[in-house]
Amino acid sequence: MTGPVAGESSLAFDDASRGRPLPSSTTGPAANSPESRPDQPKWVSPEFGAIYEEHSRHIYYLSLRFLGDPAQAEDATHDVFLKAYRKLGEFRGESALRTWLYRITINHCKNLLQTWHQRHMVSNADDTLWDGAVSSTENPLRVLEIKELGQRIQTTLGGLPKEYRLLLLLVADQKMSYEQVAQLTEQSVDAVRGKLHRARKAFIAQFQKTA
Amino acid sequence: MNPTPQKLQQQQKQESTEQAGAQRTAREFSSPEEILRHDAEQIEVPAALAHRVAESIAREPRVSRSWWQRWFPRRSANP
Repeated sequence: MTGPVAGESSLAFDDASRGRPLPSSTTGPAANSPESRPDQPKWVSPEFGAIYEEHSRHIYYLSLRFLGDPAQAEDATHDVFLKAYRKLGEFRGESALRTWLYRITINHCKNLLQTWHQRHMVSNADDTLWDGAVSSTENPLRVLEIKELGQRIQTTLGGLPKEYRLLLLLVADQKMSYEQVAQLTEQSVDAVRGKLHRARKAFIAQFQKTA
Repeated sequence: MNPTPQKLQQQQKQESTEQAGAQRTAREFSSPEEILRHDAEQIEVPAALAHRVAESIAREPRVSRSWWQRWFPRRSANP
């Protein structure tokens, strides 16, 4: 959790680890200077620091793959944790903390996508697009070049309807049950199962196209 | 013009190295979830982000502690 963004050969990911300028509303000029900070962040609330340590990776990953941009994902993760800190008093423990954080993340990212008018990606789930698109001769998820995998996954997810993208990202987190995913996406467990089936098919079809 | 035997050997060696490299990196995934999990493991949160969040929080007014914070003992502060 302390290193630069890794495992991605794309230029976009390199950008995230560089000291790009941050919005002045969220950080001061000294905040981006490596010389000015020790290795460990100084949390005014150690409890919240522990929450960040435990969940930031998942929140960042969901933001990254949902938004498709490392810089926006970084900003989103920052804003999600800031919102979480402000609303911590409202958290009643009725759901898992991870679920609560995911809820904030999903709402935040959806708002961003609407704001940025990125709805052009694929707005409607047209399942006929994916039917019969998967080759049966070999495993469509066979990957030869792991180093390009991140870029292929991003392209694949970018080509899916937002709902499918979100469902796949949520169920990929092994801590999330179908019930929790259903709760987060405000639908029944049966609906989640049905849509996941179609989402998997769509992902595989899209993934093949990126080869 | 045919390549010299030395060049041919070099070319064959390079090709076999490339093939071996491709075999080493080839991997099969059984489901989209598995591929996403693998992807998630490769991604690291930018190190500067923790500092940025901590600094933003330091500027926030103190929040009231929730029930679970009151129930569980407070951890010791960072040195």
